[in-house]
Amino acid sequence: MNKELEHSFVEQLQKHQNIVHKVCRLYTNNADAHNDLFQEITIQLWRAYPKFRGDSKFSTWMYRVGLNTAITLYRKSKRRINTQEFDTVEFKIKAEEYDDTEEQQLKLLYKAVHQLNDIEKALVFLYLEDKDYREISATLGISEVNARVKMNRVKKKLRTILNP
Amino acid sequence: MDELDLLKKDWNSGNTEFKSYSDSDIYPMLHKKSSSIVKTLFYISIAELAFWLLAGILPYFLSSNFKEKLETSYENPLFLGLSILSYIVILLFIYLLFKSYKAISSTDSAKKLMENILKTRKVIKYYVIFNLAMIFLSIPLSLYFEYNENPEFHQQIIEFSTNQMLVLYGFIILVAGIFLILLWLFYRLIYGVLLKRLNRNYDELKKLEV
Repeated sequence: MNKELEHSFVEQLQKHQNIVHKVCRLYTNNADAHNDLFQEITIQLWRAYPKFRGDSKFSTWMYRVGLNTAITLYRKSKRRINTQEFDTVEFKIKAEEYDDTEEQQLKLLYKAVHQLNDIEKALVFLYLEDKDYREISATLGISEVNARVKMNRVKKKLRTILNP
Repeated sequence: MDELDLLKKDWNSGNTEFKSYSDSDIYPMLHKKSSSIVKTLFYISIAELAFWLLAGILPYFLSSNFKEKLETSYENPLFLGLSILSYIVILLFIYLLFKSYKAISSTDSAKKLMENILKTRKVIKYYVIFNLAMIFLSIPLSLYFEYNENPEFHQQIIEFSTNQMLVLYGFIILVAGIFLILLWLFYRLIYGVLLKRLNRNYDELKKLEV
């Protein structure tokens, strides 16, 4: 691969890296796992980059490769087996000694989202990123109707987790 | 307010600060080794190919006795046919494997990507089944060959009583069966562990269509 390609890729990834971070946030629950997944998504993005034609936005293209890596390609590496899990949100709240109800609710919400399965997380992720059902269905490879049905089920499931 | 909308508000508010990687952090990442299941699957298929090729070739070079037997066995059209078939299958396997790896793309939809990986796994599976079937066939065939070519063995078999023959048959089937089951379990274990999550996620997407 030539240097120019590498340079333009790194530049764009650096600019849009929060997308990758957000995928990692949903699919992992400790810092090591987060970095590990970030690394793998970066590799997959770089490998797919020569085929990126620019007919879609770089960021849109990142969603697809990022989610595909998190859901399908990524194999948890041995590097991080012994690390302790922590809840980032919980940590933040404790540090600032918040007792606000909205903060409390958010903390529970993030915890609930972490309990969803991989596909449900993908739906939530795309929803949070303000993607419409057309894009959700294209990213996951399901019909638009099914994407809506599934989204409603996910919402219901979240409600059940929050109010058992 | 909907729970998810509350989450969305926070999600997009930028409240969570992520570690920001600089260009110089990202460059080395591009050249690190991937730990994707496709890569593991690729290594397994190469190992598979190498194993069965070596299993076919090594005895030929290591044992002159075997070499001799093999050479005489080629005079038998059935053996020759089977050997040619196995080489054709190896070539076909390499071609199909190459094709299915080329089809795996991280820019496809999640479902398509999963399907292509599962297809690749199927190619490997059929190759394994073919090899196991060949082993299973070759055990009675080589006994039959030995019976025809080796006068001592021929004499021994003729002297066997019906009961002794039954025990011999039973024993051969049992040993071959146990061997095959163990190999099969071994494969199930490898692919089961590797593709457990993929299968679960694929089922989850597939379930929606019903």
